[in-house]
Amino acid sequence: MNISYNLLKDLIDFDLSPDETAKALTRVGLAVEGVHTVGGDFVLDIDLTSNRPDCLSHLGVARELSISLDRELKLRPVEAEMPMPPVLAGDVVRVDASDLCHRFTARIIRGVKVGPSPQWLVERLESIGERSINNVADITNYVMHELGQPMHSFDLDKLSGNRIVVRRAADGEKITTLDEVERELDSSMLMICDAEKPVAVAGVMGGIESGISDETTNVLLEVAYFDRASIRATSRNLGLATEASYRFERGVDIDNLKRASDRAVELICELAGGEKGEFIDIYPTHQTATIVVSNDISASVKRLTGLNVDEVECDRILTRLGIARQPDSNEYKSPSWRHDIAIEEDLVEEVARHFGYENIESELPPAYGAGEYLPSEDRIRSVRSALSALGFSEAMTYSFIDVEHDDKFDLVTVQDSNSGFVTLKDAVIEGAVRMRPTMLPGLLDAVRLNLNYQRRNLKLFEIGKAFIGGGNGQLPSEPRLLTIALTGSEVFASTVADGRGQDLFDAKAAFETVASTLGISMPEFRSSAAKHLTAGRAADVYVDGVLAGSVGRLHDSIASNYKLKRDVFVGELLLDVLLSASPESVVYKPLPRFPGVSRDVTFAVDRNFQYSSLAAAATTDDTLFDGSKLVGTFERDGERTITIRLNYRSDDRTLTDNEVEAVHNTVLANIQHSLGLSPKA
Amino acid sequence: MDTNTEQLKPLIADEIAALSSINVDGLSLDECEAKRREVADTRIRLLGKKSELANLKKSIGAITAEDRAAFAQNVQSLEREITEAIESAESSLDRKLADLKNEAERVDVTLPGRRIAPGSHHPITVLRQRIEDIFVSMGYTIEDDREIETDYYNFDALNIPENHPARESQDTFYTTDGFALRSQTSTVQIRAMERRGVPIRILAPGKVFRRDTPDMTHTPMFHQLEGLCVDKGITMAHLKGTVTEWLKRLFGPDTVTRFRPSYFPFTEPSAEFDFSCFKCNGTGEFEGDRCRPCKGSGWIELGGSGMVHPNVLRACGVDPTVYSGFAFGFGLERMTAMMYNIDDIRHMFENDVRFLEQFR
Ligand SMILES: [Zn+2]
Repeated sequence: MNISYNLLKDLIDFDLSPDETAKALTRVGLAVEGVHTVGGDFVLDIDLTSNRPDCLSHLGVARELSISLDRELKLRPVEAEMPMPPVLAGDVVRVDASDLCHRFTARIIRGVKVGPSPQWLVERLESIGERSINNVADITNYVMHELGQPMHSFDLDKLSGNRIVVRRAADGEKITTLDEVERELDSSMLMICDAEKPVAVAGVMGGIESGISDETTNVLLEVAYFDRASIRATSRNLGLATEASYRFERGVDIDNLKRASDRAVELICELAGGEKGEFIDIYPTHQTATIVVSNDISASVKRLTGLNVDEVECDRILTRLGIARQPDSNEYKSPSWRHDIAIEEDLVEEVARHFGYENIESELPPAYGAGEYLPSEDRIRSVRSALSALGFSEAMTYSFIDVEHDDKFDLVTVQDSNSGFVTLKDAVIEGAVRMRPTMLPGLLDAVRLNLNYQRRNLKLFEIGKAFIGGGNGQLPSEPRLLTIALTGSEVFASTVADGRGQDLFDAKAAFETVASTLGISMPEFRSSAAKHLTAGRAADVYVDGVLAGSVGRLHDSIASNYKLKRDVFVGELLLDVLLSASPESVVYKPLPRFPGVSRDVTFAVDRNFQYSSLAAAATTDDTLFDGSKLVGTFERDGERTITIRLNYRSDDRTLTDNEVEAVHNTVLANIQHSLGLSPKA
Repeated sequence: MDTNTEQLKPLIADEIAALSSINVDGLSLDECEAKRREVADTRIRLLGKKSELANLKKSIGAITAEDRAAFAQNVQSLEREITEAIESAESSLDRKLADLKNEAERVDVTLPGRRIAPGSHHPITVLRQRIEDIFVSMGYTIEDDREIETDYYNFDALNIPENHPARESQDTFYTTDGFALRSQTSTVQIRAMERRGVPIRILAPGKVFRRDTPDMTHTPMFHQLEGLCVDKGITMAHLKGTVTEWLKRLFGPDTVTRFRPSYFPFTEPSAEFDFSCFKCNGTGEFEGDRCRPCKGSGWIELGGSGMVHPNVLRACGVDPTVYSGFAFGFGLERMTAMMYNIDDIRHMFENDVRFLEQFR
């Protein structure tokens, strides 16, 4: 919003420099973004908040200055004038849709000579960024910027029947607006019409046929107040936003119409000649002012802002703003130009911003209880740190993904068959209308991007929400996920030498590290048939017997969609399953006082054999058995062996060979019994 | 003096001379090891079970009683001389050997350590955690809630009326079921007040969504941080004090703040807050140039704030004539971009590791 420093001075006397003016306005909430020189004038660029349409004019801005200046505005009183009697006025203006047109005024000026504007007017318009067209059009534009009231001038002789009807459009009716676009109308739109057809889209833009031209001699000047919501809807539906619609939809001053009309008519008669006719004013229901009650405004200011502003100063500020306290009462009358004053707190803000936010003290609230993090924040922080120490970088991807990912991934978030996707009505990133049910696509996009930048060795993780289910008026669920993706080799911090190539067991290690960090039991990995993973190198992950997710090598078909030519390993876990697993408690075991004995045993197994079955079978009730651990698995020429170490120990003696042999044979017998395996000779 | 020891003496003197003549200087590892083996042989020859000295000791039974003490003394002194000479030779050879072996293991200590490349925390996480820590220490409880919300929580309860521009769907994402992706974390204010009641002090960081096409300063998803304090007797002075305090803790004790009147539907009165630029300390100039984070103004515009609107309090069942409160909020991406001088906030969601690994 451009404000001319010179025009401001027409409305109030002040001796602030342009920069001082800018500071004074910013201080009260009219943020001046810049001050520029245009010709002999200065222009203040004000960024207005949406609640202050009254400041979309020089009058409104001058009023804001009047408080700190403590000075009256230079406004002449509006001339009292009897409007044309309704019986006669009805022949010129008829309002059929008074629900959308709350007030309509008009005046006819005859004998006008349309021509160029005088230099001063051209310059004034230029400084606020407007182009001069002709004297009549310039005057209506100028008065809008000066007083805030949009208006429209018609060529009276081009109005069929020389009259105006304010009505809703008929469906399918058409009008070509001043921008030379033919527009189709519907019955929700308010139109200014002549005896036959629409001649202007009310409050938005005039029609091209009835507009002022060089030949115009008789002008009908319309100055009206339209329903805000109606103008907003029409402007939106037509895709047509103008300076007029901008002001009307935010709200103009219904009691300012005569002043604005008089001002424009005066300038037209002065600059274009002509003789004004009677004032037509159709204002069926006078707007009632909003009354705000405040029993002790000074106390309320103190209560909300801590400022000490006495009642006299409160009243002075409010009065200057046009918020009049009714004599001997606790009622304050909101002015017709303010649509944002409704409750006492609004009055408090008016007083506080003019008294000055800079005068508000700075103090901490009285001490209160102890602060708290989110219940699992400390554990999630340790998970982040653990993964970061393993070389994983934390990624953050958009929560909306392309629909093309549908059905390509097995979703850990889907807990029952009727969990549908959550979909957006539309997207700002093409195709991305699906609220992610998995974070894998986002992370794979990141892998793709980094491979494009020749980063071949990657470890990424993300912690965030997925969205699934809902429907039938139910909000979707928002499970939290922990997702990882890795590819390439281990990387060292300070050398370029690639380390070991990463595989499934690095991905598993990441999840095992997370479990260990959380202090919960080690997850269990079982062969998975997840469709986004490669069979034989995929595992479902269980935590305390609950399915928490999956991990494995990305399926070739998905890898090729992403143009990934290398092995990529991915995993996704429901974070809430991990966080709700109870941490294992620490149980101290006395240190062993006697040496233990270990026996390594090798079994020949086939390729599909699962170590987990051996680990489970290698056991006995005998207390001398002290557990088993994997030594390794070896494969050559299609023959596979697994070697495990079986441990034996007693708490109260050194075991004899015979004792060890006896337990060892029991364990081997159990393995033989469960799996049919005998130690390899 | 007995003849046997007398006969042995010159022999032993020669051996001792040979031992003490060993010079380790300039020996190679092999030579040194050979010499060490020779000394070991000498030890066996002179002090072993079959040595002359051992035989001598065995002959003590044949010595007359009156000569026995002197004999024993002689033998012992011989034995001591030999032992000293051998041990001295052994230790100088052993020292030399250790030196030579360590020398063979000499490394370039300036080569880098064998460290697996560490990963990183996302910059938004880093800043969020720092700010959470500050607020928890100030007695605030961290809160978060749903990201997909009803219109009630996203708008109505926040006093954003049906026809308000902020409600126009060009700003807000909607699901096909008619739910909104929350467009501000203020939704958490409502849910938290409903859940916990008042008095309340919370900080709610989280993702929010607006229908902005990504460009250098906008992304359709970003993070906001929202603070709320409701109690009896809370004023704007407490808002100012709180915002100033946490900014001081984040940017240093010289930080000052500025509050400017503004408008938000959920606060009344409302204010935007700025803080003195952390780079130029509010001077607008840095190393002779126009300061970048504050664009030369000395101030950084950070967020919105105000006293919680009575309609919002009422919506949460709180009596605004008894309680008052302040709220403030700001965007984490913008703040992160400013702190690290990141020119394009889209980097935050591209996950280029060259970007990510700069933050720890
Ligand atoms: Zn600066």
